[in-house]
Amino acid sequence: MNNTVKSPKRHMGLARSRAISNTVIHIVLVIISIIWLIPFVFILLQSFRCESAYQVGYVVPQQWGFDNYVSLWNSNFPKWYLNTFIIALVNAVAQTVIVLCMSYALSRFRFKLRKALMRFMLVLGFFPGMLTMIILYRVLKDIGLTQAHAVPGLILVYIASSGMGYYVSKGFFDTLPKSLDEAARVDGATRFQILRKIILPLSKPIVIYTILTAFMAPWGDFVFARYISFENSAGMNVAVGMYNWLNLDQITTKYTMFCAGGVIVAVPVTILFLCLQKYYVEGVTGGAVKG
Amino acid sequence: MKRILALLLTALMVFALAACGGTNDPKDTGKTPDTKAGDDTQQSGGELAGTYDIVVWVAENAVELTKTQIAKFNETNTDGIKINATVEPVSEADAGTNMVTDVEAGGDIFCFAQDQFARLVLANALAKLGTNAASIVKEANAAGVVAAATAGDELYAYPLTADNGYFMYYDKSVIPEADIDSLEKLVADCEAANKYFSMELNTSAWYLASFFFATGCVSEWTTDADGNFISVNDTFDSPEGLIAVKGMEKLIKSPMHLSSSKGTEFASGAAIVVTGTWDYEAVKEILGDNMGVADLPSFEVDGKEYHMGSFNGCKLMGVKPQTDAVKQAALHKLAQYLTGEECQMERFEALSWGPANLADQASEKVQSNPGLAALLAQSPYSVPQGQIHGSWWDIAKVIGDDVKAATDEAGLQAALDNYKAKIEELFKLDSSALLFVGAWNDWNNADDADTYYLVKADDGTYSLTLDVPESDYMGGRIVNPGKWDNDKGFAQVTTGVELVKDLGDDNPDNNIVFVEAGNYTVTWDGTAVTIVKN
Repeated sequence: MNNTVKSPKRHMGLARSRAISNTVIHIVLVIISIIWLIPFVFILLQSFRCESAYQVGYVVPQQWGFDNYVSLWNSNFPKWYLNTFIIALVNAVAQTVIVLCMSYALSRFRFKLRKALMRFMLVLGFFPGMLTMIILYRVLKDIGLTQAHAVPGLILVYIASSGMGYYVSKGFFDTLPKSLDEAARVDGATRFQILRKIILPLSKPIVIYTILTAFMAPWGDFVFARYISFENSAGMNVAVGMYNWLNLDQITTKYTMFCAGGVIVAVPVTILFLCLQKYYVEGVTGGAVKG
Repeated sequence: MKRILALLLTALMVFALAACGGTNDPKDTGKTPDTKAGDDTQQSGGELAGTYDIVVWVAENAVELTKTQIAKFNETNTDGIKINATVEPVSEADAGTNMVTDVEAGGDIFCFAQDQFARLVLANALAKLGTNAASIVKEANAAGVVAAATAGDELYAYPLTADNGYFMYYDKSVIPEADIDSLEKLVADCEAANKYFSMELNTSAWYLASFFFATGCVSEWTTDADGNFISVNDTFDSPEGLIAVKGMEKLIKSPMHLSSSKGTEFASGAAIVVTGTWDYEAVKEILGDNMGVADLPSFEVDGKEYHMGSFNGCKLMGVKPQTDAVKQAALHKLAQYLTGEECQMERFEALSWGPANLADQASEKVQSNPGLAALLAQSPYSVPQGQIHGSWWDIAKVIGDDVKAATDEAGLQAALDNYKAKIEELFKLDSSALLFVGAWNDWNNADDADTYYLVKADDGTYSLTLDVPESDYMGGRIVNPGKWDNDKGFAQVTTGVELVKDLGDDNPDNNIVFVEAGNYTVTWDGTAVTIVKN
C-alpha cells in the first residue's frame, strides 16, 4: 500500500531528472554538431563568394554567385572528376564481385589449405599498403600505366588486393544457416545459383556496405593517385588535382574554386550515404554477429 | 595433369602480359618517334630539324603564356625545330622533389626555385649547357642568378627570374609613412591599431635569416662540380648572431606578430606583410590605393641600427638529360629562347615576374614597377641565395620558435648553440669526406669506422697514415663514401711514385697499388696524391 502512495512522487522525480539530463545531453549534442558542421558550412559559403578568390577573414560572402563553379567547369576539374568517377565506379563493381565471391567461397566451401590461406591473408593485411608504393610505381610504369594512363593503373592497384577484405561479409555469410544451401543443392541448384538467388538477397546490407566502401576508397585517395599520375594532369583524380591549387603561387587565385570543388566532390558521396544509410549501419554491425 | 597444364598456362599469360608491357612502354612515353626523328636528321647533316614531343613543367599561371611562347618559337626558329609540347602546371617549389623522385617521368623542360638546384645536379636531372650557350647566358643575365645556376665551373640551368626576394607591404591607412624605417615603431603602430605584423618567422628559415643578414652573419656553402656540399662558412652562432636574435625578439614576442607570408593576410587583419612580388596583385586588390611597399625596416640593439637583410633568389629553367643528343640540343635551343630577353619581358608584362636579363632589368617598364622598385631598394641589404644545403632550411627554421620561447639571454644563446650543433652534424659523415678503400678494408666504401678516413688538416689537405698488409694485390684508391670515383688514384700520384706499381692498361680503375707492405702516409691536396713510406 505504501508503494501506491509513494510511487507518483517518485515517478515525478524520475521524469524531471530524465528531462533535465535529456536537455543537457541535447545541448551538448547540438554544440558538438555545430562544431562538426562549421567546416562544411564554411566551405559551402566560400564556394559562392565572388568578390575575391583568396582566403579572407570573414565567412559570409559579400557577393554571391556561381562564378567559382563556372571557372571549375572551364578548368581541368571535369576531367579529374570523370577520372575519379570512372575509377570509383569500376572499383565498386569489380571489388564487390571479388569480395562477395571470396567470402562465399571461404564461408561455404571446405578445401585444402583454407585455414592457411585465411591466416596468410590476415598476416599479409598487417603490412601497410604504402610499403608497396615504390615497387608498384615501378611495375606500373614499366607496363605503361602511369601519368597519362594512370586511370587503369589506379583501378588495377585498388582492385588487386580487394580479395583480402572478405572478413565482414564472410562473417555475415557464416550466420546464414547452411541448411538453406543444402536444401537448394538437393533441388539441383548450382553453387552460383545459391549465391545469386539465396545468399545475396538475404545479405543486402552487406552487399551495399561492400559497394559503398569500394566506392569510397578510391574517391578520396591521394597518396597512390599522386604518385601514379606523377604531375600529369590527364591522369589525376580530384584530390591530386585540387591539391595543386593549394600551392603558394595558386592559392591566392584558386582558393574559392577549391571550395567549390570540395562541394562538388562531396555531392555524390552524400547522396549515396543518404540513400543507403540504413543498410550501411546494418552492414557494419551485421558481420559482427558471428566471426 | 590438368593442374600442371593450368599452371603452365597461367605462367604463359603472365609472361605474355609482361612482354606486352615491354613493347608498349617506349610508345607510351613517346620516345620511339623522337629517336627516329633525331636519327633521320642526323643522317641528313646533323641538323636539329624535326618534331619533338616534350613535356614542359611551369607554374600554373604561366601555362598559357608558355604555350604561346613555344608556338612563337616554332614559327621563328631557324633550325626547323617543331616542338609539340604538353605544358603541365607544376609548382616551382615541387618540381625539384618530383624530378628527383623519377627523372625519367619528369618534364623535359622544367622550372624550379633555385634552392633545389644542388639536389637536381646530384640526381643528374639537369643537362649541362654547351660552352656557347653558357657564355651567352652568362653575359645576358644578372651575375647572382648565373651563380645560382652554376655548380663547379659549369652552368646547368637557364635564369628565368630574379625576383625571389622579399620586402614589406603595408597598409597606408594604419602605418604612418614616417615610421616605415623602424621596426620598433612599426611594431608599436601595429599593437596600437590592433593589427597584425605578418612575417613568417616561426616556420621559415628564408624569412628568418633576414635578421641575421642585418648584423652581417653569413651562411655560405660550397659545392663541388657534382653538386656535393664540401664546406660551409656559417656565423649565425656569434656575437652578431646574438644581436640578430635580440632584434627578432622584438617582433616575434609581440602579441600582434603573425607568422605568415601570405599577402591575403591584409584581408584578415594585417597591417604589414613581408612577402614578395608574387603577392603584388593580390595585395593591390585588397588595399587598393592604401597599398604601400618599402624595403624592410631597421632595428636597434644597444644603440646601434641594423637594416634588416633578405635573401635574393631566383627561379631557373632546366633541361632534363635526354638519351637522344639531337633532341637534347633542340631542347636547349628552346630553353634558351624561353629564357631570352623577349620572353622574360613578356613574363614581366603578363605576370609581373622580375626579369634576370640585364637589358630587361634596365628597361623603364621594369624600373617603374613598385614591387620591383621595393625589391631594388632592398637589394643593397640582400644576400644572393647561392647554393644552400637542403637540410639548412629545416635546421634554421626552429630558431624562430626557440627565440620566442627564450626568457633571457642564455635562452637566446642556447637557440644559436642548438643551431650550430646541427650544422656541424651535417658534415660529420657526409659525401664530402674521403675514404681510402682497398685491400686493407675489403673495399668497403660504406665504412663507418674512422680507420680509413682521410683527416682534413688546417691547410685544406686530407691525409691518412695506414698499415698496408701483405697480400696478392695491395691496391686501392681514394673515394667519397658510397661512391666509386676514380679520379684520386695512381694517375694523381706526384710524390712517391717509386712506392707504387705502374700497371699501365691493367689498371683501368686508376688504383694505387703498393709495391710492398708497410706503413704509409697518403695525402690528397685537391689535385695530387703524395705517398710517403714511414
